[in-house]
Amino acid sequence: MATFFGEVVAAPSRAGGDDDEEAAAEREETPEDREIRRELEEKREVHILWSSKLSASTGSFTDEQFPCSKFILAIGHNAVAFLSSFVLNSGCWEAIGSVKLWNEWCRTSNTTSVLPTDAFCLFYKLISDPTVLLCQCNCYVAEDQQFQWLEKVFGCMREEDLQVTILSTCPVTDYKTPESTLTLPSPFLKALKTKEFKESICCPLLEQPNIVQGLPAAVMSYCQVWQIPAVLYQCYTDVIKLDTVTIEAFKPVLSSKNLKSLVKDMSKSTEILKKLVTTNEIHNNIYT
Amino acid sequence: RVSRPEQQVRGAGASPARRRRSMAARYDRAITVFSPDGHLFQVEYAQEAVKKGSTAVGIRGLDIVVLGVERKSVAKLQEERTVRKICALDDHVCMAFAGLTADARIIINRARVECQSHKLTVEDPVTVEYITRYIASLKQRYTQSNGRRPFGISALIVGFDDDGSPRLYQTDPSGTYHSWKANVIGRNAKTVREFLEKNYTEEAIATDKEAIKLAIRALLEVVQSGGKNIELAIIRRNQPLQIFSAKDIESQVAEIEKEKEDSEKKKKKSI
Repeated sequence: MATFFGEVVAAPSRAGGDDDEEAAAEREETPEDREIRRELEEKREVHILWSSKLSASTGSFTDEQFPCSKFILAIGHNAVAFLSSFVLNSGCWEAIGSVKLWNEWCRTSNTTSVLPTDAFCLFYKLISDPTVLLCQCNCYVAEDQQFQWLEKVFGCMREEDLQVTILSTCPVTDYKTPESTLTLPSPFLKALKTKEFKESICCPLLEQPNIVQGLPAAVMSYCQVWQIPAVLYQCYTDVIKLDTVTIEAFKPVLSSKNLKSLVKDMSKSTEILKKLVTTNEIHNNIYT
Repeated sequence: RVSRPEQQVRGAGASPARRRRSMAARYDRAITVFSPDGHLFQVEYAQEAVKKGSTAVGIRGLDIVVLGVERKSVAKLQEERTVRKICALDDHVCMAFAGLTADARIIINRARVECQSHKLTVEDPVTVEYITRYIASLKQRYTQSNGRRPFGISALIVGFDDDGSPRLYQTDPSGTYHSWKANVIGRNAKTVREFLEKNYTEEAIATDKEAIKLAIRALLEVVQSGGKNIELAIIRRNQPLQIFSAKDIESQVAEIEKEKEDSEKKKKKSI
């Protein structure tokens, strides 16, 4: 390689190492390295703790799969707040499990009683129809943990007649469009569905070249591979905190077939929404 | 990045600022730019910031001026004393604000210095209108400089002039000020103002006690969990600022609730 000054410098080749080099690298890993890697993997393992009530009510053992006809998953604090105020309070839901995981961004606890400001991932079951499962995921699931999360969550469900609905948010700055982002009516909903999903969707489909990332993408990929009908409603918003306008942008989803039957009583939703947002705001001292 | 005003949770209709978003987006970056239809969007957005502060109500009586505020709930480990919405500017003038706490601190400090400076220069205490005009001019200056954003607070300034007349003024982020008989700023201001328009009568402010009760009743319209979230301050003619203790407020609230019960019983009897 010649530099600007005309001297010739030996540069490392990008052609790829030959076998000798790779074997040498392998030999360099000591038992200590392996031990550290094992410990790290253990620390990053995803555990799902089902409460004992689950087996009692469905009549099956926790080791076996339980039947599930609807799985509703909310990812991110705005989607979680939406389900809390519009779905969880208008019906009788029972907390049946939680996810315990650790990564550099968050640590979830292993109890089902959590504050709205904690990081958590909880599962709820509808008492009147135990095949309806709802998951509130307010924690960050790292890339290397997503596969485990999927395997463990979907591994517990019997996937016949399963329909999956996912709600999540994404910053509007990630939305790629030929129009100027200043003219976008954010927040707005876009949908993505798997091949098997035949129901009508309540908002426009997500256009190319936009992509979905993170846990919502992992769940959609899993559902596509295993031919489970699934739909993702992604809300593009310009506010990163918990925000009532973003939460209310999810409202069209309530008219979808999966959620319509679950929402009977919306009278208290405004109150609960206000309470959730103000709980978050108490620690905000900017305004007096 | 375009700022979005805080929304109250309601069924239909977005705030006007939100509907004008597409045009607003191009004209709200720099404070000194007018939009084609004559708006200064940063000033209007500053008014939205005021709505994020808790409610403050001011009542002008005959011999008394009353300031009542909704006390914001503090975090568990936080000292309550350091969250003050009512501040004395001088012995005979005090103010309550709603909006950005830090902006309020700056304005209060400048106003306090101006009060003393005035006293030293002309050997007279400021009139309420003078100090209000000073604060309003300060706010207006920040709506016309480049690179500076407006102050995000509205203030209710109360006091007595030398001639003994009670005064209540309100300023807003644009730098306008007006004299009021009773006014309210902050969250839920609209609801409380409607209450005051209905209930501010000659009888309601006939005595000091009645004026205080009116202020508390106005706040109870919007304050959750009653008396323990209310802070009250009064100035009587030729007397310094007096801040009510929690006990006094509770007893007033109890009186008001008893009066309400009695009037409801009377209504039932007449039916």
